[in-house]
Amino acid sequence: MPKITIDNRIVEVEDGDTLLQSCLDEDLEIPHFCYHPAMSAPANCRQCLVEVGMPRVDRETRERVLDEDGNPVIDFMPKLQTSCSMKVADGMVVRSHRTSELVKRAQKDNLEFLLINHPLDCPICDQAGHCPLQNQTYKYGPEGSRFEFRKVMKPKNIELGPRVVLDGERCINCTRCTRFTQEISGSHQLTIIERGVRNYPMTPPGVVFDEPYSMNVIDICPVGALTSKDHRFKARIWEMSQTPSISTTNAKGSNCVYHVKDNLVMNVTARTNMDVNEFWLADEDRLDYRKFNENRPEGPAIGGQAADWDAAYAEAARLLQSTSGQRVFFLGSALSTTEDNYLLARLAEHLGADAPAYIPHIEAGHGDNWLRTDDRAPNTQGCERLGFSALDAEVLKSRLAGGDIDVLYVMEDDPVGEGLCELADLEGVKVIVHHHHTTNETLPAAAVAIPAAMAVETVGTFVNCDGHAQRLRPAKAIKGVNRTLAMEVGKSRADLHGTPFDRWYTESNMVDCEPGWVSIPAIAERVGLSLSYKGPRAIMAELSEDNPAFTGATYDAMGESGVRLDVTHQPDTHTQTA
Amino acid sequence: MASKAGDWRNYKRVLLPPVKDLHRLDVYEDHGGYDALRQALTTDKWDPASVTDEVKKSGLRGRGGAGFPTGLKWTFMPPVNPDVPRFICCNADESEPGTFKDRQVMEYNPHLVFEGMVLAGYAMTIKTAYLYVRGEYADWITHMERELEKAYAKGYVGENIMGSDFSMDIVIHKGAGAYICGEESSLMNSLEGRRAYPRIKPPFPAQKGIWNYPTTINNVETFAHVPLILSKGADWFSSIGAPSSPGPVLYGISGHVNRPGVYEYPSGMLISDLIDEVAGGMRGGKKLKAVVPGGSSVPVLRADMIDGVTMDPEGLRDAGSMLGTAGMLILDQDTDMVSFLRRITHFYHHESCGQCTPCREGTGWLENIVTRIDEGEGNVKDLDLLIDLCSQMEGRTVCALADAAAWPVRHTITRFREEFEAKCRPSLVATHVESAAV
Amino acid sequence: MTDFIKDPVVSLPDRMPEPVIPGDELFFTDEEKKQIETWVSRYPTADGAVMRVLWLAQEKFSFLPAEVVQLVANALDMPYAKVYGVATFYTQYFKEKKGKYVFDVCTCFSCQWCGGYDMLHYLEEKLRVHAGETTGDGLFTIQEAECLGACGSAPMLQITNGPYVHNLTREKIDALIDALREGNMPAFESVTLPQDEDELSGNRRTDVDKTTSSVTPPVSETVK
Ligand SMILES: Cc1cc2nc3c(=O)[nH]c(=O)nc-3n(C[C@H](O)[C@H](O)[C@H](O)COP(=O)(O)O)c2cc1C
Ligand code: SF4
Ligand code: SF4
Ligand code: FES
Ligand code: FES
Repeated sequence: MPKITIDNRIVEVEDGDTLLQSCLDEDLEIPHFCYHPAMSAPANCRQCLVEVGMPRVDRETRERVLDEDGNPVIDFMPKLQTSCSMKVADGMVVRSHRTSELVKRAQKDNLEFLLINHPLDCPICDQAGHCPLQNQTYKYGPEGSRFEFRKVMKPKNIELGPRVVLDGERCINCTRCTRFTQEISGSHQLTIIERGVRNYPMTPPGVVFDEPYSMNVIDICPVGALTSKDHRFKARIWEMSQTPSISTTNAKGSNCVYHVKDNLVMNVTARTNMDVNEFWLADEDRLDYRKFNENRPEGPAIGGQAADWDAAYAEAARLLQSTSGQRVFFLGSALSTTEDNYLLARLAEHLGADAPAYIPHIEAGHGDNWLRTDDRAPNTQGCERLGFSALDAEVLKSRLAGGDIDVLYVMEDDPVGEGLCELADLEGVKVIVHHHHTTNETLPAAAVAIPAAMAVETVGTFVNCDGHAQRLRPAKAIKGVNRTLAMEVGKSRADLHGTPFDRWYTESNMVDCEPGWVSIPAIAERVGLSLSYKGPRAIMAELSEDNPAFTGATYDAMGESGVRLDVTHQPDTHTQTA
Repeated sequence: MASKAGDWRNYKRVLLPPVKDLHRLDVYEDHGGYDALRQALTTDKWDPASVTDEVKKSGLRGRGGAGFPTGLKWTFMPPVNPDVPRFICCNADESEPGTFKDRQVMEYNPHLVFEGMVLAGYAMTIKTAYLYVRGEYADWITHMERELEKAYAKGYVGENIMGSDFSMDIVIHKGAGAYICGEESSLMNSLEGRRAYPRIKPPFPAQKGIWNYPTTINNVETFAHVPLILSKGADWFSSIGAPSSPGPVLYGISGHVNRPGVYEYPSGMLISDLIDEVAGGMRGGKKLKAVVPGGSSVPVLRADMIDGVTMDPEGLRDAGSMLGTAGMLILDQDTDMVSFLRRITHFYHHESCGQCTPCREGTGWLENIVTRIDEGEGNVKDLDLLIDLCSQMEGRTVCALADAAAWPVRHTITRFREEFEAKCRPSLVATHVESAAV
Repeated sequence: MTDFIKDPVVSLPDRMPEPVIPGDELFFTDEEKKQIETWVSRYPTADGAVMRVLWLAQEKFSFLPAEVVQLVANALDMPYAKVYGVATFYTQYFKEKKGKYVFDVCTCFSCQWCGGYDMLHYLEEKLRVHAGETTGDGLFTIQEAECLGACGSAPMLQITNGPYVHNLTREKIDALIDALREGNMPAFESVTLPQDEDELSGNRRTDVDKTTSSVTPPVSETVK
């Protein structure tokens, strides 16, 4: 591995890496805009300039020339070099703004240029607070501007497509967005048009920027030129907390960040995970967040009447014990965590019932071999690895019709809404439902309804379609008092921008619900089964020990980027039906 | 300093020799046309390496503006790999203001350019050569296409040239109006059907050129010299004009002279000879004020700076300018240098590709300030700001357009400062002087 | 001078324009397709031919509305956005309809000092439109151009990306406009090399209709 010297510090770097990436890997900041590790480096922003020198080599002997003190003589290149386009080489000596006045000056000058035609409307810009241009200007920019002329006026507030809005004046022409459509998504819906100072990104006439990954350009735009039509002007970044977690829209489990304000999810952005989604996130993953805020239940119910939690648990337990285990049908859920499904399986086993089945959420043709899958549920693999089988609608219907089922236990899903049975089929069946939404169509048949925490409110594990086990972290708080959850929420809401959590007082935004790992043990206890774990972390620890399909999937190992589970233990989906 | 052009008054033109209709293939052939190529391809006299050696020995330096030694450039091509295509490209984008010589070669002696390109292709084992002509030269493209067709028909270009086993195509590529396409890496992107953004260097064209394949780019006039060097010898070539940059040069003279036009003379001519004797002296007997010796990008010289200055890279470097394209603009005593600079800054602002920050933003800022001064609204401190902005642009961009935009500003201001100050707002001139005195 | 500096506004192109070329005219003929194929064969990828095909399209349809850019993209199997980015980069591709005759009057560098602005202003007054505008009858558009590589025969102009007219005078402009009104494009005009005047007593080419010899440029009135 080549060794280079950056600001008098010797570091080992990867052969073939760019100088900029090597510096970033070493946590040595170099201001930059246009460079993105996943795309070609046009070196057009000119912000990442550094001084670069190479050891002088004797032409004859091919040895390095040494000075009187025995140190290699370094020849610095006459011009500053863009570190994003410079490949590292052994012996290279680099001076950044930390050690070079020349570099400092160049960075300042460049920022002055970048800002002369920039509208400087940070007070109304969504990017303010997490804007590379703003941040780097504060750190490395000039005090003021010497530009005393009219700024170039460019099209503003232009809907490039249904989800992305352009402010041409804020654009610094880094071409990240156009390169994304050319090199990453391949949609080719954007190009820079015009020439010179008139340049800006645009769709060609008649084309709408509507590709299913369009919103990634919002993440990678280093200024506020591209903003989300959905999120624009809704919340400033410092009013929200940021929680690293997983998206729930499909089986890819793309890593994302949930932005939450006053316990409402406001926005979802991409989180880098090179093993799953790299830097990207599908638009559907970003926009499918209202479900966490809207139509959420307000506490449990018995026979449609509001009840307290204890009463609901007791009634559920009573129903489960009112018949033989064989006549209780358990439905787990590809929408719930592995931990909750595991607890449900334990409960079913205790009662002598069959192992739970789960409702498949397949939408044929939806997948694209990238970050969208036909499977619209986040944890089908988790269910499969627990040995659950996909529910066959015919089997359920015939068993219901045959009067074989006295109690139907539905965890966090909606068999009626999913068209697996009709309300009429459930007449005479005692239905216990853990539900996310008041719109759950199975609810009218529910004898007991238990509000369940959703993915942004709980702790747990999803296994994606490739067998990658990843942790969910709570992004918004729920109503009940739960020490484990409270501690997790405290850890998982990164306070990057001085977010005022203490002023999040809107009670109604906190849903009166419980995670499965609270409600299932509460019911289990009442039917004589102790499921007393110290939270989901302990459940996963047990699973990873006992079940070879989960070997290695401990919370510590999963961390923020997950663990790839052994493929050989992935049961075949198609042979198993209920 | 004396002229380095020797007995230039008796110089016999070789690039544009006085032959009627030399642009026609038959006439060109009658006057020794394609003889050098015939020798190279059908006799043992020249193997590819020796063609390059001869060009190297001749001391020919590129005529596109940068003056890079041509033979040396050719040696940068990697060894031939039959699986990897390689190209040459002739740069006929000629858009540097004040430059119009390549057009005259294309009009009057196109076969010399074709022959030079085929010889270069032979030297570097090239199968395809592109001739990138600026779109405005539509008529000349038509003419050249006609002549090229004839050259194909006669077997001077194409398959098995002159019965040898060397084959090369020449493809004429028509530009569409963008000065930046003259910059070699921008030209390559333009050829590839992209927006003509210059590329970062390294890699250089010889490593990764057109479609990332090894490529050598030379100017029209540069290629035109090659057949002459081979037929008359490197020694002949290097004995002409200034020893450090020898050979004939096409001087394009425009502006306030009696007889503007393109003149062929040895390199190293005295600027004063070119103005007074070649171009018929100053129009209306006016006094010379300034000379821009090599296209709008090179530093302007005041009349009092041209004494004994010769038109070759060293001569002009010592005088504080550059040879550039040898497209000379001659300006007389009535010229307003502020207005002159204003139009130049407009040009670079208009022609910046807009890819990189200092150039995209800086060129417009320069035009803004110079316009303000030209309109009498400027402040003296603007002049220092202009110089400062030049420093902020020079050497910090993807290509040299930003430098080319900054140099005229820096040098016109430093060399004609009083004139700029005189156009600035009087009150502020006074304030400035006072505060400086405190 | 174009006043972008004074009024630096970049406008948004019509994003959902109505097609202007009737659908049944929007195609390349078999002959044109063959020509395109020939061009394509000269480059490692079809993209290399895009500038030529844009030229072909502009000559055929007189300018490049969106549907024509799309046609070019389809012909070369290139992303439409890429072709659009290329078309908007170069000044000679007309993105909107221009006059039948477009005057590109050089006012740059040498021309500036040899009456380029005088000629521009004369044209503006004569045709009663400003640079950048088209006459009401749709015949003429005047544009200010950057150096066109004919500085020795300044002032000069180019007509619709075609012939150059050198050594302009007011009289020459009058005659030019009269001729164009009659539909007569000027013939190619060869500028005689001064050395040829001395050594060949005139232009060396015998196959051109029109020549112009080296002329002392006029004194510029607008700028001194
Ligand atoms: C902004 C810019 C414009 C240029 N324009 C031209 C041009 O019009 N014609 C040309 O031959 N070279 C031009 N050059 C120089 C080319 O990049 C290149 O150096 C040259 O074509 C090499 O040929 P030569 O070695 O034969 O001179 C330009 C360079 C720059 C930076
Ligand atoms: S819109 Fe943003 S990402 Fe796109 S070029 Fe402009 S600054 Fe870069
Ligand atoms: S210096 Fe100017 S012309 Fe060259 S790449 Fe940068 S913006 Fe484009
Ligand atoms: S990050 Fe290197 S030039 Fe933009
Ligand atoms: S300056 Fe007008 S043609 Fe060159």
